[in-house]
Amino acid sequence: MEVLHNLAFGFEHALTLQNLMFCALGCVVGTLVGLLPGLGPLATISLLLPLTYSIPVGGALIMLAGIYYGAQYGDSVSAITMRIPHASSIVACIDGYQLTLKNRTGLALFTAGVSSFIGGTVAIVVLAALAPALGEVALLFGPTDYCALMLLGFVCVSFVTTGSLLNGLAMCLIGVLLGQIGTDVNSGMQRFTLGLPYLTDGIGLISIALGCFGIAEITKNLDSREDRSPFKGKIHLIPTWEEFKRIIPSALRGSAVGSFLGILPGGGPVIAQFAAYALDKKVSKYKHEIGSGAVEGVAGQAAADEAAARTSFIPLMSIGIPENAVMALMMAAFIIKGIQPGPNMIADHPELFWGLVASMWVGNCFLVILNVPMVRYWLSVFEIPYNVLFPAILFFICIGTYSVNNSLEDVLVTAGFGLLGYLFSRLDLDPPPLILGFILGPMLEENFRRALLLSRGSFTTFVTRPISGTLLGLIAILIVWQVVAFFLQTQRAAALRARSI
Amino acid sequence: MNNRNLLKGLFLIAISLAFGLGSLRYPMGTFARAGPGLFPLLVSSLLFLVGLTVVVRSLLSERTGMAFNVRNIGLVMASLVGFALISEYVNMIAGIVFMVFCASLAGTSYSAARNLKIAAVLVAVALVFQKFLGLQLPLY
Repeated sequence: MEVLHNLAFGFEHALTLQNLMFCALGCVVGTLVGLLPGLGPLATISLLLPLTYSIPVGGALIMLAGIYYGAQYGDSVSAITMRIPHASSIVACIDGYQLTLKNRTGLALFTAGVSSFIGGTVAIVVLAALAPALGEVALLFGPTDYCALMLLGFVCVSFVTTGSLLNGLAMCLIGVLLGQIGTDVNSGMQRFTLGLPYLTDGIGLISIALGCFGIAEITKNLDSREDRSPFKGKIHLIPTWEEFKRIIPSALRGSAVGSFLGILPGGGPVIAQFAAYALDKKVSKYKHEIGSGAVEGVAGQAAADEAAARTSFIPLMSIGIPENAVMALMMAAFIIKGIQPGPNMIADHPELFWGLVASMWVGNCFLVILNVPMVRYWLSVFEIPYNVLFPAILFFICIGTYSVNNSLEDVLVTAGFGLLGYLFSRLDLDPPPLILGFILGPMLEENFRRALLLSRGSFTTFVTRPISGTLLGLIAILIVWQVVAFFLQTQRAAALRARSI
Repeated sequence: MNNRNLLKGLFLIAISLAFGLGSLRYPMGTFARAGPGLFPLLVSSLLFLVGLTVVVRSLLSERTGMAFNVRNIGLVMASLVGFALISEYVNMIAGIVFMVFCASLAGTSYSAARNLKIAAVLVAVALVFQKFLGLQLPLY
């Protein structure tokens, strides 16, 4: 009952004209960047961060959140119609595109939109019920536990985003090191500033994010030089009752999987989709059809995608630790607005928390309208040639970085990180863990130093405290597993080579 | 053929050395009272280990080549740096026009007429930002 009361309170804030406008704006922008290649939610949120300086706190957060989950809604459209995946819609390419080949594009789009709606709704219930409860658990956390949790986050993110633990860990560590640049909070000493007054406040998050995600992504797309042919087929949206009945169970399964995986450290939309798709392949009544264009193959993954995007707010808002790169950016947005996400946030700013939760459901309604009845209008976005698009994206990147401090030096720094990001992508290093490391780095250092101060320099405190001990144990298991897997793989490869000779 | 994994490992080691050697210049303190140099030193030693593992692994596994297209990244960089410099010394409208013309050299086709249209639209957008959103852009 208390949850209902709180939700009603949240809707009071979400349904003001101003917040409705921000929510709608976030959803439209999110859908647009979900559709367009080369401008994911990470780059867009960092682009719009400076613009939110003048907007009230609640509206800014509602809009930024809308961009994130809106982008997850729209990203399956290009996968279904043209088999062009975004970072988080690889799975939709399989069955979604098969349906297009069968001239059932409309059905696939309808399924994706409706399943996303179901996934989002389930996740909001989970969010409203779980976040306050988890916040109370988080009050038990000491500095050692926070350190262990952040390390677990690094390991899980590295594991998930790049597949290879070493690549991801390296990126996290580079991020932490970049976060060290600037003035040390404890001693006031300037570190790694190379004597440049410009670096005393550290490197701007927006420069790093736009460089590594915006510029590097554009250049990567330019290198691949593929011409996209826009989708021209007919779209018949309304499914038969038989087809509609098949969507529901799969979408509910996907919502459950997504909600759960969204909460775990390192979790998020990408892994949730794969898990939901795999689950449908195992238990669905129509599992023999999956892979050759089944509704279930689209419904489950779309629901999981959307659910995970929303439940990933739980660790950020209840514990104060972002679990993936987008949440790290959201955390930066909270902090810019003077709010420290964490166990005390829900109690201190109930209107923000419940307003955000309620706005997610409002956004859900906007998005299902934008993505189901209006989807055919969005498809015309694909007719913009990339040769027109990428100078425009570059322009927005320049204006975005410039307007943080009204400084052209920032544009140069962003360009530098663009070069670095391109180098990363050529070396097969994925940048999202870097952002997480960069944001968590200063927090990690602070908690690490505090933990050692409390234990008088003894490292046993990390193992003996129950919470941190458990978390570190999990890390150890993950690392051992990865090492064993690598050796098994090389052995198998060697055996294969021996046999072929 | 250059070896991507080997290069990656060496790259990581280079970064770890840059930060690790830099951190030696700051006071270390003790573990109970950590100085500003201790944490970066620990993190860069970890990164050094990761880099070393990547190097060792690259020697064990098969080589993969690394593609690096200097032209496109060079053009994008030139357009950004040009934008910053021209905006600083002339004005931002000139910077925007230069950026569009320079960056679109990297595209699959090039048309001066199209570039003029893109530049005009972007300048208009910048004017809207300046007049209505209150961004302080030195446009002219």
